[in-house]
Amino acid sequence: MDGVELQILWSNVIGIVSEQARALQRIAFSPIVREAGDLANGIFDARARMVAQAVTGTPGHINSLAAAAANLLRHVDADSLKPGDVLITNDPWMSAGHFFDITVLSPIFRGDRIIGYAGSTIHHTDIGGYGIGSGARDIHEEGLWIPVLKLYEAGVRNETLFSIITRNVRTPDALLGDLGAQVSSGMIASQRLNALCDRYGLDDIETLADEIIARSDKATRESIRALPGGTFHGESTFDVPGGDRITLKTAVTIDNEAGEITVDFAGSSGRSPRGINVVPAYTQAYATFAIRSTLNPDLPNNAGSLAPIRMKLPDDCIVNATYPSPVNARHVVGMYVPFPILNALAQVVPDKVVAEGSGAVWTVQIQGQDSEGRAFTSSMFNYSGGMGARAGKPGISAVCYPTGVSAVPVEVLEAAYPIVFTCKELERGSGGGGLQRGGDGQRIGFRMRTTQPWLLNTVPSRLLEAPQGLAGGEPGRAGQFLVNGKATVLSGKTDMKAGDEVMMITPGGGGFGAPAAAGADG
Amino acid sequence: MTRYSLAVDIGGTFTDAVLLADDGRTFVDKTLTTHGNLLEGFFRGVDLVMGRAGIAPSDVNDVVVHATTVVTNALIERKGPPVGLILTKGFTDILYIRDEHRYDMYDPQIEFAEPLIPRERTWPLDERVLADGTVEKGASEAEIATIARECRSRGIQSVAVSLINAYRNGENEALVAEIFARETPEIFVSLSSVIAPQMREYLRTSTVAINAYTVPITRPYLEALIAELERRGFTQQPLIMLSNGGVIGAARAGTLPVRMIESGPAAGALVACYFSRMFGLPDLISFDMGGTTAKACMIQNHEPLVTSTFEVDRRYRFKPGSGMPITVPSIDMIEIGAGGGSIAWVDELGLLRTGPESAGSIPGPVCYGRGGTEPCVTDADVVLGILDPDRFLGGDMKLDADGARAAIATLGARIGLTSEQAAWGMYEVVCEQMAAAARTHATDRGVDYRGLPMLAFGGAGPVHACLVADLIESTQVIYPPLASVLSAFGTLVTPAQIDLVRSQLGLIDRFDTATARDFVSQMTEEGTAALTEAGLAPADIGFVFGADLRYFGQQSELRIELPFDPRAGLDTAAMRAIFDREYVAQYGLKLDMPIELVNWHVTARGSLPDRAAAHVAKGNSRPTPRSRIVHIRGKPVETAVYSRTELMEDDPIAGPVIVEERETTIFVLPGWTIRLHPNGSLVADKITER
Repeated sequence: MDGVELQILWSNVIGIVSEQARALQRIAFSPIVREAGDLANGIFDARARMVAQAVTGTPGHINSLAAAAANLLRHVDADSLKPGDVLITNDPWMSAGHFFDITVLSPIFRGDRIIGYAGSTIHHTDIGGYGIGSGARDIHEEGLWIPVLKLYEAGVRNETLFSIITRNVRTPDALLGDLGAQVSSGMIASQRLNALCDRYGLDDIETLADEIIARSDKATRESIRALPGGTFHGESTFDVPGGDRITLKTAVTIDNEAGEITVDFAGSSGRSPRGINVVPAYTQAYATFAIRSTLNPDLPNNAGSLAPIRMKLPDDCIVNATYPSPVNARHVVGMYVPFPILNALAQVVPDKVVAEGSGAVWTVQIQGQDSEGRAFTSSMFNYSGGMGARAGKPGISAVCYPTGVSAVPVEVLEAAYPIVFTCKELERGSGGGGLQRGGDGQRIGFRMRTTQPWLLNTVPSRLLEAPQGLAGGEPGRAGQFLVNGKATVLSGKTDMKAGDEVMMITPGGGGFGAPAAAGADG
Repeated sequence: MTRYSLAVDIGGTFTDAVLLADDGRTFVDKTLTTHGNLLEGFFRGVDLVMGRAGIAPSDVNDVVVHATTVVTNALIERKGPPVGLILTKGFTDILYIRDEHRYDMYDPQIEFAEPLIPRERTWPLDERVLADGTVEKGASEAEIATIARECRSRGIQSVAVSLINAYRNGENEALVAEIFARETPEIFVSLSSVIAPQMREYLRTSTVAINAYTVPITRPYLEALIAELERRGFTQQPLIMLSNGGVIGAARAGTLPVRMIESGPAAGALVACYFSRMFGLPDLISFDMGGTTAKACMIQNHEPLVTSTFEVDRRYRFKPGSGMPITVPSIDMIEIGAGGGSIAWVDELGLLRTGPESAGSIPGPVCYGRGGTEPCVTDADVVLGILDPDRFLGGDMKLDADGARAAIATLGARIGLTSEQAAWGMYEVVCEQMAAAARTHATDRGVDYRGLPMLAFGGAGPVHACLVADLIESTQVIYPPLASVLSAFGTLVTPAQIDLVRSQLGLIDRFDTATARDFVSQMTEEGTAALTEAGLAPADIGFVFGADLRYFGQQSELRIELPFDPRAGLDTAAMRAIFDREYVAQYGLKLDMPIELVNWHVTARGSLPDRAAAHVAKGNSRPTPRSRIVHIRGKPVETAVYSRTELMEDDPIAGPVIVEERETTIFVLPGWTIRLHPNGSLVADKITER
């Protein structure tokens, strides 16, 4: 295939996966999918290799989904699949690292032959069990575990599974609605991929997939070969809900002959009793993201561009969760995985990296009854601190890196739940100084409009350990979590009184480069 | 007595003027836009067309309509006078925080534009409205008066107000307007509850900030236009084209600049509606390709699709998310960075790509000979032989074919292609890019694009339309006359129209019907006022009612048209039935869940103007064509070349064939024919196999 023919087919596949994602986002119920865009969509070839992904959501979802299709098909014989079958799982080790993320995979048939798969992972509103937060003591307390099963068999709903789900989650309507959206988006992808094959007279997409994957693999290796070889070390320390300090250490080995990078997490903190352990697939998702977004962000993300990046995980390690460790709030550690890697890469490509920032978004969920006694459970909503500075540009305020999800607007939350925000502004000056300043965090306050007690489930981080600067840049300011004006350490669901006021001050990003001497340029 | 109507469309590059007589005589002119003083170009064009027609201003007894890029220019240049912003205390960084979205996950180097109104000119107001409309804290008159005086002392002429939950209850905002009117009547106040009364604080604030920012530019501009027209003896009040495809009086438009942003492109979409009626084709797709971008719009049942949000001034690599969002009713167009000036390149995977980087008109494509060195889409058109380097713009501009070929040869060598192969590759890639965008746009809106006829215009549109049509499985392309000034013409075939929207959240089965009635009545009154100012009699104003609905718990809505007047009562059973039907049509399933209302819509519009189509010149016998070689799919093919004015009615000519006119060139592929329709358009049809 030449560079013209391939480009034309390729742009068609990208079009399909974006259509698939847009449909999912439009009909989803969960505000985190619609408003925050926290979803992943991918098209896989018949061998379950990810060919294309939609440009949405978080690296954690996208890159975990990349591995999910193959994981699911290890449990189901692809030859036994029939048109109208839809597979489902929320197994943390097979997809995105906690029960909330449900992956749905639909085989795409052309005639009686499978030519690929359409997959999606979204964060659902509730999955029973503990709910949001890191307080469960083992994985079984964390919610409903859905093994690899058929959600639909030859187009017919698996009623047993549907009734089990309905009885085991707090918001069955939203969950089933969102599952419907995932199934629907798979149907769209299937129709469009067949239309593409019709239009260009293709029997399948294997040649196209081979070409794209091989070229992506080659281009990634070439960009690695251009780097100096060697092993570079980086580490990052941060604190998680409950006040524990976690250190991630990485040795990043650049093999500039093979064009491969290996990231070894030896020396990192061990497994945690809290639900912040990270499964290997999620660790890999953020590790590959850090390298890909630094070296060649424009290259498509697929099986080929991910292959040259490898990982080594020690046995007892917080980023190598094993059964039955709790994993519910794995993002509070997972979203920091890029920083020790970037701190190592800063020695190689200082102009391309980002200084430490707030890292994980702060997530919040509220639950209770309004003054008339009607129960409510909010979906998870999240807020960013400041992003770290870049060598040539300041960090962006109120924007998170590595994740990039939107915040649900204040007015949307206030219309949906009895919550009233007292403020949402930048915390000016919280970004670290430097040649380039870190981005500022935010100050976000809220209370409940109810006469009843309520439950707060929140996951802040970096309350003790501020984001560090790079190349002489100053650290940003650590975050603060206040209840009724008092600094509070929360590590799980907390009972709140009717009039309690919460104030969250998210961390500022680290600066880049030593600040100019006083008076130099103001 | 002959009736004359006049239209002027000021675009980023050209100012087009059209004078249309009701006997079909048409006078057009195209001149370069005078960016220093836009009205200079306006009246130069007007003088020219009136001179050609030999008429005086007082003879223009039908409408004077104007579409203008003045608002977009103001936003891009950012040279406007200082503007103030009043936000709820505790929420003064809305424009800095945006929606917290990092719009490109993989690119750590992304940037955002600075807020249009900085924090130094933002005032907190100690007030609060809750989500159900309750005023938890009223605004203090004294505090507002202090802010007003501070604004005056700082030379601020225009202020935006966007208070939390004001979409639900605009009482506190209204008080701000009242106190400013009393204390500082010279300061213009834009209220979010009036400009964009919809939920989502960032979207609403961004919209009202844009309005406030551009009012000090558009008001004097339109006042000067009104005064100058009057001075010259015109008797008609000018009408202004809005983004939603309606026109309203210039005085009111001056206070609603945020609704004028897509004025020119909207006029282009309306032309498509006009031709859809003329051809009796209810559904078609308009395709407008110029120097830097291509735009497509879906016409359904003779009406353009409309949207409620779009983005302006994308600052970082043309990426969605890097600009400013706006929520006002607007014609739903897809715009992509693919035009004649789009630069071709080879990406990291060795794939041939075009755009979004553009050489624009300066330096332009290599063939312009103005210093451009990067191969552009127009260069490929020249190398392929589709464009005649000696007859571009009627021969006024000679093109450098050798330079174009050399630049493309260098690019092609990188992926093992000859210059002709690479040029065809560029042609195909840019067409596929537009087809892909059109497909996504259509399916995103539940439109089946397959087989839709296409209307092609813009300088580069007719050059590429046939292949784009082929790629979206269309079998017909219409090339209208006056293609080069088509948007200006579009403003003349447009009814007066204004679209209004109000948010009201609630389940349709247990609804606060009194509030609903109030909202809808307010909108019909506002619509009547706007259209009366535009010269319509109240009896000629009609209303279309609509609602945005969703299943309870969902986050995005589906717009439905209501078959009843909500002021007379709500037929919730009908609402549910229509919603379910639409939902199935778009998503293939319906759910057994309560339905929630989010917004009411009212469209107020006058009747469709009935103005004559333009006359076109045509031949009486089949002309003898010239010919040249066109490299199609890598093979040289002898291709007949005609001038548009020499074609004879209903005499199909088989492709490959080229039809030239001054401002553009029509290229028809093998397997298609082209003919002159009696109404003056050229029509290409795909030959169907039997």
